[in-house]
Amino acid sequence: MNKEILRMIQSSIGRKWIVAVTGVLMIGFVVVHMTGNLQMFAGTPDKINGYAHLLKSYPLVLWSFRLGLLATAALHIWGTISLARENRMAKPVGYAVAGRKSRLQVTLTSVTMVISGSILLGFIIFHLLHFTAQMVDRSYASMETVVGGVTMPDVYRMVVTGFSKPWISLFYVVAMGLLFSHLRHGAASVWQTFGLRDRNSAQLIEMGSWILAAVLFFGFSSIPLAVLLGVLKL
Amino acid sequence: MKLHLRIWRQASRQSEGSFVTYEADGLTPNMSFLEMLDVVNDRLTKEGQEPIAFEHDCREGICGSCAMAINGEPHGPNAGATTCQVYLRSFRDGQTLTVEPWRAKAFPVIKDLVADRSAFDRIIQSGGFVSVGTGQAPDANAIPIGKGIAEKAFDAAHCIGCGACVAACRNSSAMLFVAAKVSHLGLLPQGQTERKQRVQKMVVAMDAEGFGNCSNQYACEAVCPKEISVEMIARMNRDYAGAVVDQI
Repeated sequence: MNKEILRMIQSSIGRKWIVAVTGVLMIGFVVVHMTGNLQMFAGTPDKINGYAHLLKSYPLVLWSFRLGLLATAALHIWGTISLARENRMAKPVGYAVAGRKSRLQVTLTSVTMVISGSILLGFIIFHLLHFTAQMVDRSYASMETVVGGVTMPDVYRMVVTGFSKPWISLFYVVAMGLLFSHLRHGAASVWQTFGLRDRNSAQLIEMGSWILAAVLFFGFSSIPLAVLLGVLKL
Repeated sequence: MKLHLRIWRQASRQSEGSFVTYEADGLTPNMSFLEMLDVVNDRLTKEGQEPIAFEHDCREGICGSCAMAINGEPHGPNAGATTCQVYLRSFRDGQTLTVEPWRAKAFPVIKDLVADRSAFDRIIQSGGFVSVGTGQAPDANAIPIGKGIAEKAFDAAHCIGCGACVAACRNSSAMLFVAAKVSHLGLLPQGQTERKQRVQKMVVAMDAEGFGNCSNQYACEAVCPKEISVEMIARMNRDYAGAVVDQI
């Protein structure tokens, strides 16, 4: 890769592409993640436990995937922070009187992307400490079950135990609300950055991103809510 | 008809500006916004005061000079109209109007309502042109252009470079302007030769001027007096990616 290409990638549009591509990759990840999570409702703990065991049985694949995801998130954050910093600098003085929000198409979700993204980052760190590193509740490490003669971590028990605490469930649901907000604008924006949005598709894209964000919100939130309501229990 | 005006007064680039209040009286609803400013300036001149500096040229909505924000909205409250095409019937009798110059780091205020928009000229110089053969003028229809392409290119060519897109954008992004120029020339057969270089060079020039980056809120499209669609930005994003891939 020569210098010219590197410079082009670091331009305004180049970084917008990076943010969009990494955003799409992360959307892909959360969709798969949610689908996997919904196995909590399979009726038997064996389903999700077996799935978790399967994911962990290929360490090389697992770690390449984890590192790839980390790099993706890092690029996404680098891109957005550098773009957002320039945006602030480009408008040092605002208008004394703000124009009508309806006219200037100011939406709550679009002006809070940095805030929703930052809180989501905090949430993701907590989430990793909670279920992956198991540092929030040390007892998770000893939760094991036997499926088909194989001993494996009892993910089902960890989830139900974790979400039995209302403050944890509440935090998860609030974070998913922010994910909704972030994707409501973000998922629609990638089409524009990729140059695939036009007058005819605009409405479909806006609606589609709303639906995607809503499906993810309800899909993820259903688990802590089901635990709190006693639908999912040990 | 009467209006209460709060107008940004700033003596020079270096000086600090502030709002000054003026009462405009004896107006009629059919006056244009600029005629109203003329009336105020007439009075100020007679009173021996410095008239309000504002840019104007054609006063028929095609030159892009009359750049100012009325109540925080570039070119005032009406869709698809420049300030000179805004008439006082758009306002209530006795309404208070706050009038400000374009606000953007890349458009520094020169005086009162006049902002320096030469950043746009420098972007155009970087690539907003086509190379043509010298000699006799070519025949009008020597190069066939499909109706659809001609229409799309013309939609982009409507851009008058007024800067309302930058002024409205929360990030002072110039992407709608640059995209309109890139699309206008990049769609037509005459613009194909430099198409890839053009988008690269114009984006580099745009970034160098200190404009912000599009965050896909489309305020630019809403205020554009020529109603240029953000489709142009999508096309520029696509073209730019094509130019990068070409380099690899």
